Formats: sequence, C-alpha cells, structure tokens
Amino acid sequence: MTNKSADINAISSKARGNILAKLKAEVSGADYDKLPEEIPYIYPEFSHEENLAQFISELEKNHAQVIQTTKEGIAEVISAELAALNITTLLCGEKCYGGNDVHRDVINGLDSNIELQPYDFSIDNNKELLFNECPAALSSSRCSIAATGTIVLWPDENEPRSLSLVPPVHFVIVDANKLHADFARLMAAEQWHDKLPTNVVLISGPSKTADIQQTLAYGAHGPKALIVLLLNS
Amino acid sequence: MKQFNEEESKYAASAKAFRANVTRDLGNEELRSNFRGAMDYLMAKRKDAFSSEDELEVLREQCKLIKQRCLAKLPHLLEQLEDKLETNGIKVHWAETITEANEIIAQLIAQKKGKTVVKGKSMVSEETALNDYLEERNVECLESDMGEYIVQLAKQHPSHIIMPAIHQNKQQVAKLFADNIDGFEYSTDVDTLIQQGRTILRDKFCQADVGISGVNFAVAETGTLCLVENEGNGRMCTTIPDLHIAITGIEKVVEHLSDVPPLLSLLTRSATGQAISTYFNMINSPRKEGEKDGPKEVHLVLLDNGRSQAFADEELRQTLQCIRCGACMNHCPVYTRIGGHAYGTVYPGPIGKIISPHMLGLDATSNLPTASTLCGACGEVCPVKIPIPKILLRLREESVKPKSDKPQVMQGQGAGRSNVEALIWKVWALVHKSPTLYALSMWGVTRFRFLMPKKLGGWTSVRTAPKPAAKTLHERLKSKQEKRAKQAKQSTNTASR
Repeated sequence: MTNKSADINAISSKARGNILAKLKAEVSGADYDKLPEEIPYIYPEFSHEENLAQFISELEKNHAQVIQTTKEGIAEVISAELAALNITTLLCGEKCYGGNDVHRDVINGLDSNIELQPYDFSIDNNKELLFNECPAALSSSRCSIAATGTIVLWPDENEPRSLSLVPPVHFVIVDANKLHADFARLMAAEQWHDKLPTNVVLISGPSKTADIQQTLAYGAHGPKALIVLLLNS
Repeated sequence: MKQFNEEESKYAASAKAFRANVTRDLGNEELRSNFRGAMDYLMAKRKDAFSSEDELEVLREQCKLIKQRCLAKLPHLLEQLEDKLETNGIKVHWAETITEANEIIAQLIAQKKGKTVVKGKSMVSEETALNDYLEERNVECLESDMGEYIVQLAKQHPSHIIMPAIHQNKQQVAKLFADNIDGFEYSTDVDTLIQQGRTILRDKFCQADVGISGVNFAVAETGTLCLVENEGNGRMCTTIPDLHIAITGIEKVVEHLSDVPPLLSLLTRSATGQAISTYFNMINSPRKEGEKDGPKEVHLVLLDNGRSQAFADEELRQTLQCIRCGACMNHCPVYTRIGGHAYGTVYPGPIGKIISPHMLGLDATSNLPTASTLCGACGEVCPVKIPIPKILLRLREESVKPKSDKPQVMQGQGAGRSNVEALIWKVWALVHKSPTLYALSMWGVTRFRFLMPKKLGGWTSVRTAPKPAAKTLHERLKSKQEKRAKQAKQSTNTASR
C-alpha cells in the first residue's frame, strides 16, 4: 500500500509509449513480405453422413446426450426428458436467433404441466431468478462442427448468453444441415472476420472438470447435462 | 538494477530458495506420487489425441510460424488490437510492471465501488499476485476454477499452469473442504467435492460485482478475446457480473481470426488431450443496447513484465511463442519429480525456467536454467516448437557471463557467475590450446593422482570420487604401438632367418 494512486490513464499511456517504443525498435526495417509460408494440414474430405457420425460420436464421448428428432418431434422429446428429470420449468428465449419464430411450435406442443419461463428480463435484477428458479433451458444454435463435436451459439437479445450457461440442464436444437467439417472451414465459409456478435460460444459437452486427481466430474459450473436435439431431415 | 516491490520480491525470494525447495519436495512421497500419477495420465492423454504423427508435425510447424509472424509484427498488432477493441467498446490499458497492472485493476474496481470479484483462471493474474493486492484493498477475490479454488482455500499457489491443484489428491482435498467449509462432511467422492464447490461458487457468481479473466488468444483483426475452458467458470466471470476485466501478456495477440483454429486444436490436445475444450468463448464487446445480459463494461489490461526484454533477443524471443498448454511440464522428468512448487516461480517446469528469468531477473532465477537434464522432451512436445533446451543453455551462458559484458541482454546478467568456476574454465581453455601445456598437465594429473581428494562436494554425496588413471590414454596407446612395432620387428627377423 505504498504508492499513492496514480491516475490509471497516466499509468497506461506512459506504459503504452514505453512498451511500443521498445518493441518497435526491435522490428524496424522488418520485411513482412519475406515471412515463410505457413502450410496448413489438409484434412480429408468426408461425406455429410460421415461428418454427422463424427459429430454425434464426439459429442457422446464428451457426455452429451444426442437425440435425433424432427421439428415436429421436439416438443415431445423435451416433455419426456423433463418428466424423467422431474423438472417442470423451462427457460427459453423470446424467439430464436435473429427473431425466427420456430419456437412457437415447440412451445405449443409441450406438456401442459411444463411452465415456460421466457427470458424476457434483464439479468440485472433477476440473477436470483436465473440461478435458482430455472432448472432447464432451451436454446437454438447457429451451426455445428463435425471434427470436434461442437455446437456454435451466437447469442443475441432473443437468446442471451446466460441462457445456455446458468440453468443446470441445457437443451439445444441443432440442424444437421448446418454442419461444417471443422472450425477453420466454418470460419471461412461464414466470413466470421467480417462481423462478430457480442459473444460467440462453442460448446462441446456439459460443463466438466478433472481438477481433483484427474477424475472427470460433470456439472462444474455450467450445465450438468447437455441434451442435443438433432434435426436430421 | 531492477527495484523489486513487495509482490515481486516475494516470488524472487521463493525462486532463490530453489535448492532448499527441491530437497523439501523430493522427500515428500505423497507429493511425488501425486505428480507421477498426474503426469502419466496427461502424457497418455496427449499421445492418444495425436493419432497421426504427420498431422501433428504439420500443425506444429504451421503454429510455430503463425506465432513467429505474430511476434514479428507484435507492436503493430497490439496497436491494431487496441484500435479494434476500442471500436468494439472494450477499453484497453497498458502496464509495464505487475504493480501498474494491479493498480489499474484496483482502480477500475474502485470506480465501480466493487467489493466482490470472481476470477476465472488467469496465470497472468498469478504473475501479478493480484489477489493479495486486491485483498489489501478490501476487495474479496475468489478463484472460481475448481483447481484454483482448492489452491486458494489451501492458501497455496498453483503447481501446474493447466491443473493448478495437481499436487493434491482427493483425500487432501476432502480434508481441506472438511476443515474449511461449514457443514461439509468429509468425503473423498470427487462428484460430491465438485458439487460442493459448485454450490458455493454459484452463489458468488450471482453476487459478484466484477469478473476477472485471462485471455488465450487476442485477435487483432476483429478485436476478439478468446477463452478456452471446460468448467464454465470463465463464461460465468465474463457474462454475469457488470464489470469484466481481462488481463493478459502482450505476447497473446494473434493477427487473424483464421490463426485461431490451428492454435486452438494444438492447445487443447497438447494440454489435456481433448479435441477441443468444452467451451471456447469469443468476446467481442460489452453488452449492447437491447441485450439482456453480459457485462456493461469490458476492459483489457496488457502486461509487459519482462516480455519486451525477451522480445529484444532473436533467440530468446521464441520464449514468447508459448501458448501455455503445459505439455513441457507434463513431459519433464525434473518437474515430475520435484513438483511445481519447488521452482518457487508462478510458471513452473521448462517454460517457467525460460520465462521467469525475464520476469524476475537472473539474480533471483540463475538456478533455474541449470535444473534440467537437457533430455529434450520439452522441446519435442512443444506445440509451437520452442527450442527450450537450447534456450536453457543460452540462459546458463547469460547467467555466467561477466556482469559488464555488452550487450546486456538480461536483467541480472552474470548473477550465477562464480570466480572459481570462471578461473577453472580459463585454465582449462589455456591448457587445451597448447600441446605442451596439455601434455605437461596430463603427466602431472596421472603422476600425482594420489592427491585427488576423497570428497568433492555434491558429486561425492552419492558417488565415489573419480580417480585419474595411472597413465594417460595417449601414453597407453603409444606404449602399445611401440610394443607392436617391436613384435613386428622380431617376427620379420625370425622370418628372414
């Protein structure tokens, strides 16, 4: 507790100047056109069926539950899973990403004893509600990655970031037609470098940890269960 | 000479105590068995994750070149990153020293009247000893990664950069929880232990004003902060509280978003043998208008703390290629035996031995580069091909160079220099340059070999003292040749008779 609180802008701008000056002195005159070529590994091409099989197998290896269904079947699957878990409240976005209204069908088809909690509130004064009264959540997904069994979430005002994080059970709808072979090809195909949202999250299973004696335990901080509703038509 | 502040001198002192730490930890059988078990597990996991040797080698070369390109452009990328982040609404701060970084973070928290901080795993915040700094300012700082939480509860430091509580077994964790958590009944069931941690920490996520995290990759092109994790605590810390502060070293910046997939693939597979981590979290901005969650303010603190010193030397710059996977420690025979705490530095193991001297100076760390068998395993497994054994040799050289030799590459140059050792090598060099001196000295050593002392410091603590031969190899070969020539002469004489 020695130094008087200096203004952090002053600290930062002095540090910035010094660090950049030191680094720039070392790279002055560098010719960036002469950098060696970076040769990537070329992964083999797989058929859609092979990719789908890989996607499912990786997710299951990581303890996710994958249920193949159709758009019409989602409501029934969720109702059954919730009944098995003894859960009667489901948190869901107001709409899907980008305002698509496909949730309506699901919501209308759910068992009547399931209470729907729409995520229509700001988290600011509702943390207790989110943490303590939402045992399960439903979200959509943007696309997925076969190689690693990964689901890409693109949260927005309809489906906030914490929707897929805080409730202990996470149902996620994945469209098998939006499956990409690997992360690099996905980024290139969707031109991610042009525009990214506030947050993108890649999910490859339920939350886990091996921090105690290398023993895997699920449900460390995030969802204990990840239930993937795979639409394959 | 660098003036250490309170936090720095704490680490410097514990690094200086390296030899004593080693003796202490080598004698601890439980600790050794914990490390042996963990390292065997992690090595096997990594091996399984790279089924194709060809893929591994291509990826390593590619990722090495990616990191080298990003370092070659480092100052420009940092400026681009700052520019993009600020455009996205994330405020960037710079710090040359750990105290500056801590002060910036403390003031950001104070501005928001923050009282409770939850932390995602961040080795850079360990480097700055941020928890102690904040707690002295009455800010509660709770680690939320399960391993970090255990370590914090035990009032220890991480012993591994990926698995911080690897030095503890479940019995020890169970006892720790029973002793420290009200109402927890001793259980060695790992699920029970993790659920206990979950319950406590979820309350904290709910209440905390501030979340602090590290950064795995900072993308200059898009202004994206990427976090790799399995537990979800990183997402909690960066999503739930109103204020998110990320802290990272200046070397973590990458140029393009497309640089991320190969690096991520090598990172998770090298670290824990996972094809990908459970979560890969890409943060681009604070909460936008109309969004219902996410922090209202996001800040990034960029820390130098000796990195620019490593940057200035072409060979040592490779140290900064590190993506912090921990594979080098998992495969290190020295780390496996002495454990992570013996090093006395925030970063243990091979990478710790080559990065810590830049952070703490060679004065405090001159022992570290010598604590290696140079077996080469670390260099072989490094996903970005840092030639760790070569850099260790270089640091040994820097640590015994005369203090005044120019150019001065390292803080604390010559700190490991011993006049006796220097003199021995000077004489050795002289003798080996002159054939006459060499012959004379060899004659002396063999004829006066009875003068060889029986005790030779550390060498004879577990070995018998070496004794020079009665004759040199040269002499023996010479006499053998003479004998042969004589025999040959005799046989020709006999034949001619």
